[in-house]
Amino acid sequence: MKILVPTKRVPDTDQRITLREDGRGINDDQLPFVINPFDAIALEEAIRLRETGCDAEILIVGIGSADYEEQLRSGLAMGADRAILVHCEESLDPWNVARILQVLVLREGPDLVLMGKQAVDDDASQVGPFLAALLDWPQATFASKVELSEDAVRVDRETDQGIETIEVTRPAVITTDLRLNEPRYASLPSILKARKKPIEQLQLEALEITLEPRIKIIGLEAPSQSRTCRRVDSVEQLVEALVEVLP
Amino acid sequence: MSQKTADVLIIGGGVAGLSTALQLARRGKRVIVVERGQLGSGSTGRAAGLLGQLRGTAASTRMLMDGVETVRELEKETGEEIFVQTGSLRVAATPARTQEIVDLVGMGKAINFDIQHLSREEVNEKLPYMKTDDLLDACYCPTDGHLQPAELVASYVKWGRKLGVQYQTQNPVERILIEGGRAVGVQTASGPLYADAVVNAGGPWSYLIAEMAESVLPTAAIGHVYLTTRPDDAITIDRLSPGVRDRGNRIYSRPEAGGLIVGMYEAEPEQYTMENLPADFDMALMKAARDDIHVAMLIYCAQQRFPWIDERTPMTVTTGIMTFSPDGKAFCGAFPNLPGFFHCSGFSGHGIVQSPTIGVIMADLVSEGKTDYDLSEIEADRFFEQPGYLARDEIRNRCFEMAGNYYGRVEGKTASGKAS
Repeated sequence: MKILVPTKRVPDTDQRITLREDGRGINDDQLPFVINPFDAIALEEAIRLRETGCDAEILIVGIGSADYEEQLRSGLAMGADRAILVHCEESLDPWNVARILQVLVLREGPDLVLMGKQAVDDDASQVGPFLAALLDWPQATFASKVELSEDAVRVDRETDQGIETIEVTRPAVITTDLRLNEPRYASLPSILKARKKPIEQLQLEALEITLEPRIKIIGLEAPSQSRTCRRVDSVEQLVEALVEVLP
Repeated sequence: MSQKTADVLIIGGGVAGLSTALQLARRGKRVIVVERGQLGSGSTGRAAGLLGQLRGTAASTRMLMDGVETVRELEKETGEEIFVQTGSLRVAATPARTQEIVDLVGMGKAINFDIQHLSREEVNEKLPYMKTDDLLDACYCPTDGHLQPAELVASYVKWGRKLGVQYQTQNPVERILIEGGRAVGVQTASGPLYADAVVNAGGPWSYLIAEMAESVLPTAAIGHVYLTTRPDDAITIDRLSPGVRDRGNRIYSRPEAGGLIVGMYEAEPEQYTMENLPADFDMALMKAARDDIHVAMLIYCAQQRFPWIDERTPMTVTTGIMTFSPDGKAFCGAFPNLPGFFHCSGFSGHGIVQSPTIGVIMADLVSEGKTDYDLSEIEADRFFEQPGYLARDEIRNRCFEMAGNYYGRVEGKTASGKAS
């Protein structure tokens, strides 16, 4: 069995994020980067599936600049077996990310693609569904529980109406939600082991894809920072204050 | 002299500065605290707050015991619950560490400090979630516990505000103002402030603040990590479960909100160069990578004493920066080269628990020029202009060595100084 986990390298969104002067991006030269937290959950789930008995090879994929190696190394230390870094300096829209992943999936032939339901930087939530469509594979989005059976996957999906349990045949694309698991820290031995694990370097050109940008960022606006604070002395006053501001 | 804005200016709104401000205000001084970020947002906000009163010397033990009295006063005045008296345990799994405990019990008894040996069975009873089968000895101090850092900050500020202390946050200090060979104030981002005395309580930044006055403060910024496990129905950790020091494994622990805090004094901690961090660096936003070697080391060592902890255990990891000195002791007081400029820094991982008494000592020094406390261990100028304590890199090496040996070396009168 082979599990492919696509990841995105994103700025740590807990940091103070400021907009670039041209309003089309953020100042990221001093920001720490992490694996998109939802993708880390996907990787953790792949590792747990392996730990509970399925003999899986876990492959993580990143698309970006050479700096990405640091986050891929993190993923290898958590427990992935190998990594692929597709070198690409351009910022990609979800459609083109899905197309690149499609090429890698066809090359690697995984039984399962496990990935975050969205990236925390742009919240697009599109790559998983796009990829499933391009591959003509079934998909199970917003997974909060994943169980393997003989040739299928049973998934609990978190919907606004409650939990929906579905079964999809393999191969399939599964996108992971927050409550699926809590990603681990790497152990000492696995950090050492990860230093020797391979990271395959691929140039975008080698994949023979012509990028077809379909989305252009026109502008970004920071959320309003102004807050009006008022101190209340009791729960009763708090209730009154809330009633006042509620529409 | 220029127009005074206060009697005393304090640089740094962590526990050291806040406690000093409060004690000065209690003596009728007008005090302004200037803080680069938010109050308590530096090392203070990243601390575990363990309080073990019995130290290597009578002077530091007395300081900590008096501190508990001050904390009781703070609690009464402000209604905050700061001190959680859980009791504390030291455990030993090697003969050298056992001797350390024997010495400690002897020392404690000699000064009437409440301390007793515990058998393995008694330890097991107190801490059912801890591995005990390898223990050779243990001692228990029922009057120890921990101080809750957030509540401590809140009470310093609450009481301080009542007494007229002004707190200027988001206001970094840019220069120390000097007139006639004396510190007379500070230039802040929002303008100059003048006073009779300036206190440098800048924590990890304090050596940079000293440099603003062309002084060398021999401290260095050293990384520290601890983990907090999430509450787990399978492992009950009582709120009043004793804190533990297991120096052999380099770890300490204490209960926290149904989970367990385990922290570590590593042999090779991270070193930070404060001047290289972003100008708006916020310690509260520090985050360890999933493959951080210090976290991995911490989890490994925690597991030696608490076998149910491993890398899969749901936990939060807290990363912070401590201010170490070359001998692990604080710096309290002025240097001979610049009257009116006081240092209050270098707490080497013990700022929270030392702060209540340090505030009193600093208020003594600033307002009277002297104190009843035995200052010999914490005098600010004990390395002043001494060879080996002048260049930044040699200072950093000494502090790093001190931090690395902090739990490594064996303490006590019979110790040979070698780690076990």
